[in-house]
Amino acid sequence: MPIIVPRDKAIMRVLRPIIAMGICLSLALGASAQTLDSSDSSEYLIKAGFIYNFAKLVGWPQGAFAQPDSPIVIGILGTDPFGGIIDRILADKQIDARRFVIKRLKWGMDLKGCDILFIGSSEAAHLEEVIHALKGLPILTIGETPGFARRGCIINLVVEDNKVRFEVNLDAAKQADLNISSRLLALARIIPQSAAETR
Amino acid sequence: MSSIPKKNKSLMASAGRILLSGVLAVCPVANMAATGSDSPQNVLDPTQLSLEDLMNLQVTSVSKRTQKVGDAAAAVFVITQEDIRRSGATSIPDALRMAPGLEVARIDENKWAIGSRGFNGRFDNKLLVLIDGRSVYTPLFSGVYWNVQDVVLEDVDRIEVIRGPGATLWGANAVDGVINIITKSAKATQGGLVTAEAGSEERTAESVRYGSKIGNNTYYRVYGKYFDWYPSIDVTGATASDGWHALRSGFRVDSNATTANSFTIQGDIYHDNFGETVTVPSLTSPRFSSTYPNNGYNSGGDLLGRWNHSFARSSTSLQMYYDRTNIADPTVFGDHESVYDIDFQHDIHLGEAQELVWGLGYRSIQDSNGSSFTVALLPDHRNLNQYSAFLQDEVSLLDNRIHITVGSKFEHNPFTGFEFEPNVRVLGTLTKQQSVWAAVSRAVRTPALTEEGLQLNAGIIPPAMPPLNSPLPVIEAIFGSPLFRSEDLLAYEVGYRVQATGSFSLDVAAFYNDYTNLRSAEPGAPILAGSPFPSYVVLPFVASNKMSGGTYGVEPFAEWKVLPRWKVSGSYSFLRMNIRKNADSLDPTPDIPNGASPRNQFYFRSSLDLPKHLEQDLIVRYVDQLPSLSIPSYYSLDLHVGWKPISQLQLSFGGEDLLNSRHLEFIPEFINTLPTEVRRTFYGGIAWTF
Repeated sequence: MPIIVPRDKAIMRVLRPIIAMGICLSLALGASAQTLDSSDSSEYLIKAGFIYNFAKLVGWPQGAFAQPDSPIVIGILGTDPFGGIIDRILADKQIDARRFVIKRLKWGMDLKGCDILFIGSSEAAHLEEVIHALKGLPILTIGETPGFARRGCIINLVVEDNKVRFEVNLDAAKQADLNISSRLLALARIIPQSAAETR
Repeated sequence: MSSIPKKNKSLMASAGRILLSGVLAVCPVANMAATGSDSPQNVLDPTQLSLEDLMNLQVTSVSKRTQKVGDAAAAVFVITQEDIRRSGATSIPDALRMAPGLEVARIDENKWAIGSRGFNGRFDNKLLVLIDGRSVYTPLFSGVYWNVQDVVLEDVDRIEVIRGPGATLWGANAVDGVINIITKSAKATQGGLVTAEAGSEERTAESVRYGSKIGNNTYYRVYGKYFDWYPSIDVTGATASDGWHALRSGFRVDSNATTANSFTIQGDIYHDNFGETVTVPSLTSPRFSSTYPNNGYNSGGDLLGRWNHSFARSSTSLQMYYDRTNIADPTVFGDHESVYDIDFQHDIHLGEAQELVWGLGYRSIQDSNGSSFTVALLPDHRNLNQYSAFLQDEVSLLDNRIHITVGSKFEHNPFTGFEFEPNVRVLGTLTKQQSVWAAVSRAVRTPALTEEGLQLNAGIIPPAMPPLNSPLPVIEAIFGSPLFRSEDLLAYEVGYRVQATGSFSLDVAAFYNDYTNLRSAEPGAPILAGSPFPSYVVLPFVASNKMSGGTYGVEPFAEWKVLPRWKVSGSYSFLRMNIRKNADSLDPTPDIPNGASPRNQFYFRSSLDLPKHLEQDLIVRYVDQLPSLSIPSYYSLDLHVGWKPISQLQLSFGGEDLLNSRHLEFIPEFINTLPTEVRRTFYGGIAWTF
């Protein structure tokens, strides 16, 4: 395809150094650059990144894992918004010696084997029952629906201005005996447990 | 015309800025196209990013993401909310000064000349401007009444500036550029905001906004804004008559009724009073012209509704708006304009590698105007109907490394009938960090009402004056003509983007524009006028299409995060215009657009985050001389300091044009209003959220 029609030689005078500069830069950078990866700004790719970071920055109590290399089990409850993204992202990752196992779950199934439970928006109607079923268990609950943190979910992801933010319900974290690092808290919006909605 | 696609393009553009912001790699646009594919070299690994980095990423929802690819191969620059706040900009034109490739010149306190890639003027007709999907391009003179376009700047999400033609998606008149001003959703502006500002130029400016929730998924905000600007000074240093004050109010409601449906309804209403000093020809001796302060007002409002619906493999958008503009200028020209617009768009994914977008649009314009001796428009009442359709297909090849977009707009307008505006764009990913793009597009600038039926008495030659030595005064008048056709552009563009390191990025765009059928003013036979006896001669200069030529230029923009808390960015805009009258043109006027846009412009900005929630910005600009207007080049230095002592309170202080005590930026064409000088100014402001 003719990108530039050289109807005016002057234009070529302008473009030639740019093209040359471009080629030089390509050569120089192509070899060296490898820092940040390229982007896919999909919401769930980013949210998967958040979940991975949470796993790194949350401390589970003694005894939550049977072995030092027991996997971190992530349950996805209800409609799965990630598709295969989260499996792909976490496939070969590990934190210390722990790898990740992803399970798709439905309400009514046993949730107790999870270390992290992502609660989909489809569970909004019976969130309190889900929270109640997990009471006292060291499971990091993560939601993505407005109001979930207030209703007892430990972390809730919210999208504002096209950016992902997160809320933390400290009371819920304490009940689950999870230790949330100060680095995570510094970036979080702290949400109090709503008294009316605690059961 | 189709105002819906621009919304989707916006997301593409914000991705463009991610690239510039240095968080991500070079070619987000290409990679967005790659989403859905599992090709590993194109997919971000979010586990490599910290929480802070992740919080800086822009999210684009699944259905929208795939819609914005089409126009990716274009010269896009995004002005973010943070840029606006940190620059200390107090108006939209002020904010636009930071975009490469644009020319922004202030004529007086309430008038600007804003152009893209040349042809700058108060009545620049080649730049399309949209606010939240509503076109503010007036069919009266094919341009923008900048003085009635305003928003609460704190509620702006971003301003996207696309240089070059955008006609395939946005329709006629998106010739040299498109400016998309996008406000935040009502959900993002919950709670209250009160701002107050005062300065040596801005006597006072206040705004109040409050946002809340209705029901589960519906959010709203309402706002009010008032400002009052002091008059400036003329070239002699005397106080001019260009004071300006305006009151504006509006609302926006956003609802995500269900996951598949979302609705937006928004509206504004405004009134302003402006002053100017105008010089018009007059038939009374001995001066044969009169210069006087002229005060008028503008008022108007708009109402817009939009419905987005997503299906499994496609999505639709339906948008309607009404826009009313009243220009009440008691001695020069009055105009009332109503625009009704409806647009429909459908995006379809055809498999993994192809996306088809099509749309339909209809616009009805009703204009009525009141004439004066200086400006008359016939007929004084017009109804115009415009129809449009567009189709665009994007294909990804070679494992998403190449994206090809082909499309065209087809429209029908009452002046020139059918017009088509095709384009071909190719985007190639060289490495993870680099991409190149190229585009060839055609755009048209359709005639305005004034180009068909105007009589503008622009100047006068008193009796017995050379070269005519006429016994009667001779009025030089600009006439419209029903024979005036569209102006045509064939544009060739190339671009290169690189994210050289995690902290340095570069974006270069170059273009060659080939214009034909540009407007010239051809002399007609003199007319004896006056009653009951002929008392003057009208020498007509009739709008015709006998000018053509090329423009070319290059616009590099670079951004470097020197330290985590210190970022510098800069751009250079080079423009060369070579527009000539055609051999058969008899146009004797020296009016050629070549010398009215700066050949060289530099922009440099340093943004520093200091401890204790202080931020400091320094901006240096250089604007080259405008030889045909005898405006000298100038440097300007702006300083801005922001301080957030507590999270609810933002204080700001600054100075603009600190290097010059005063300078002139432009001299307006057609209507002879007195240009006034831009002075060194100081200001302070406070913003409180609750």
